Amino acid sequence: MSQFQLAAISHLTAGRSQIGTSLSFHLFFAVLGVGLPLMMLVAEGMHLRTGDPVWRALARRWSKVFAVLFAVGAASGTIISFELGLLFPRFMAYAGGIIGLPFSLEGAAFFLEAIFVGIYLYGWNRLSPRAHWLSGIPVAVSAVASAFFIVTANAWMNVPRGFQIVHGRVTHVNPLAAMFNPAWATETSHMVFGAYLATAFGIASVYAVGMLRGRRDPYHRKAISLALATAAILAPLQVGAGDLLGRTVASHQPATLAAIEGVTRTEPGAGLNIGGFPLPGHHGDVLNVKVPHLLSLLAFDRPGATVRGLDSFPKADRTPLAPYVRLAFIGMVGIGTGLVALSLWYWLRRRRGRSGPEDRPTLMAVAAAGPAAFLANELGWLVSELGRQPWTVYGVFRTSSGITTAPGLGATFTAFTLLYIGLSVLTVWSVRRIASRPLEGLPSQALAAA
Amino acid sequence: MSLPAVIAIILGVSLTFYAIFAGADFGAGILDLLAGERGSDREAIAATIGPLWEANHVWLIFSITILFSAFPAAFSALGTALLAPFTVALLAIVLRSVALGLRASPGGRERSQVLLGRVFGATSLVAAFSLGAAAGGLAQASGARVGAATAVPAIPWHGLLALVVGALAAALCAQLAACFVTLTVARLGEDRITERFRRRGLQSGACVLLLSVAAVATAGATAPALSDRLMGAALPIVIAGFAIAALSLLALARRWYAIARGATLVTAAALLWGWFVAQAPHLVGARVTIHTAAATHAALAAIAISAGIVLLLVIPAMYLLFSIFARPMLEVVE
Repeated sequence: MSQFQLAAISHLTAGRSQIGTSLSFHLFFAVLGVGLPLMMLVAEGMHLRTGDPVWRALARRWSKVFAVLFAVGAASGTIISFELGLLFPRFMAYAGGIIGLPFSLEGAAFFLEAIFVGIYLYGWNRLSPRAHWLSGIPVAVSAVASAFFIVTANAWMNVPRGFQIVHGRVTHVNPLAAMFNPAWATETSHMVFGAYLATAFGIASVYAVGMLRGRRDPYHRKAISLALATAAILAPLQVGAGDLLGRTVASHQPATLAAIEGVTRTEPGAGLNIGGFPLPGHHGDVLNVKVPHLLSLLAFDRPGATVRGLDSFPKADRTPLAPYVRLAFIGMVGIGTGLVALSLWYWLRRRRGRSGPEDRPTLMAVAAAGPAAFLANELGWLVSELGRQPWTVYGVFRTSSGITTAPGLGATFTAFTLLYIGLSVLTVWSVRRIASRPLEGLPSQALAAA
Repeated sequence: MSLPAVIAIILGVSLTFYAIFAGADFGAGILDLLAGERGSDREAIAATIGPLWEANHVWLIFSITILFSAFPAAFSALGTALLAPFTVALLAIVLRSVALGLRASPGGRERSQVLLGRVFGATSLVAAFSLGAAAGGLAQASGARVGAATAVPAIPWHGLLALVVGALAAALCAQLAACFVTLTVARLGEDRITERFRRRGLQSGACVLLLSVAAVATAGATAPALSDRLMGAALPIVIAGFAIAALSLLALARRWYAIARGATLVTAAALLWGWFVAQAPHLVGARVTIHTAAATHAALAAIAISAGIVLLLVIPAMYLLFSIFARPMLEVVE
């Protein structure tokens, strides 16, 4: 009996690890898939307006990178759509009919995106400059639409609505109510802003590294200022969206809120833990500063509101990974705060001179901001997914009930992990190969002129 | 007609588009593998499928979302029973997309381009074969009208019928690709390349015909219930399929390239619909049908509406894509 139990646990762990690995791999490409089209459009649009060939060179270079990322991202997205059925068939049997609408609409958006990606990437020489720029708009719009639809499905997993369970069967499905559940607006906007921000800082980071290596030309300067301008607009919006999402979690996922904020015991007028790293043997008090009443105020708009602690939930109904949820949350918020500070710093300094600060410390900070922004996206998803455990659908459907009955998940997990390692190596190799090519349509004297 | 039947037909149409267009892509990989050292042949293949393959690939994702939204129990049963062949197909599909995407990006050295090409070719073959084998096994398990009372039946994806159908799928993909490439290069006036692909079309077309006969015979021997349905409800489609497969060979022999391509497309569609009709209304095995597996009425209605939106948006966009790239350009477009 105990041996069977052990086997069952590792079976579930293998399945969860496989889909977790797949999602975190795909997220990287999904983020760039949402963000890069916008950046390409802006750069190409600047070229149409100013005629400056540097903008066109940037747009073309990014479009080549985008081609590779889109291919890998479409492939890793396909893996996930299969894995839902291969790893969690019983979850899909339960939920497929409820959240089918956003998935079908996502199919439509992805379809349009793929079609216009074909036109955009292969059409540089076939379309007029204006028509080519216009063909990029559906790419950017449908990329955001895809992210929107998928995240509404995830929001449903966090705040399930639009169905009833009668005698163990799903009935009274209202697809629109399921899709537009109470978390849809906050979760989707947080994701889309996060994707744009990570792309912007990612681009700034690449060109900051170039400048640190001595390539201080208009090509690099323009890329950085475009990226950091985008970031400066979006960073404050992201803080706002994050705050609203926090309130959504507070009203609908009390056990998740407790794990995120590191609240162990129920208390009225709860304080906000800043720091409070969950180290073994300590009770969330490592390097902690507790701001009185702030958590109650932030979460429920009343300084005296009661916040439930993790202790108040039955052990079976709260996440077994609370310390990791807390760590991921601290990481995400910490990075986000740093990024807001960095873009403020850059634009304050920039006002004085004509171009932005190009001293080594600033450039190094910008270089670090890209990877940090991607990490923040990954951490945010860890907060959402680990924070919801042991549920796949909060309060309704347990993760352990969804896993497949077919054997062999250890083998498939190994195979896919190897695949992802291989894909990562190939992608990096391929992007570096693109980056090492000379810029087309940009004579070297155009760069030397600066 | 009931709502589940409408959705099942939409699913069938979506799968048909996947089979013919992505099938041609898989076939392009198989031909690429056969092209050996001939760079001109590989360029002709790349120029034919270049901008189109990503969009073709989406039909698969669209089919999967319809399947799991409209018939969640069927998706669940398929995922469980076909974990192994689907995992293999999935790995192959991913590797081939990535190899193709990377190969198309500029600046590669010759050696790495060749290696990527080999990966693209081999995985295309594996993907076509394993999806075909899964379909063959599914047809065998679902033709039976009585059977195990479990919701997840055993699917003989490694049985004889499955292997024959897997090989048939690979041959059909190769023929599809050969017809697409032949038509493209013939319009460019590249006579020597055209001739080589025409020969590939004839070879693979002959294989398709032989393997189709073998598949029907194997079904008769190992899956009598399926065979009865193939010779019953599906008989008109089976006969039409054979006739059109023969026509595609004739057209290739006579160098009617446009007709050859059309006939091969219809052959692929006939093969699929013969299978669909033979196992309708069953989706997976003896118990999971379009009625027992269907989601609630509201969910089905939402899917039907969103599928309508998809067609409204996608068909004009597809038309735009194909018309922009209708005139092939063999020179490498950066």
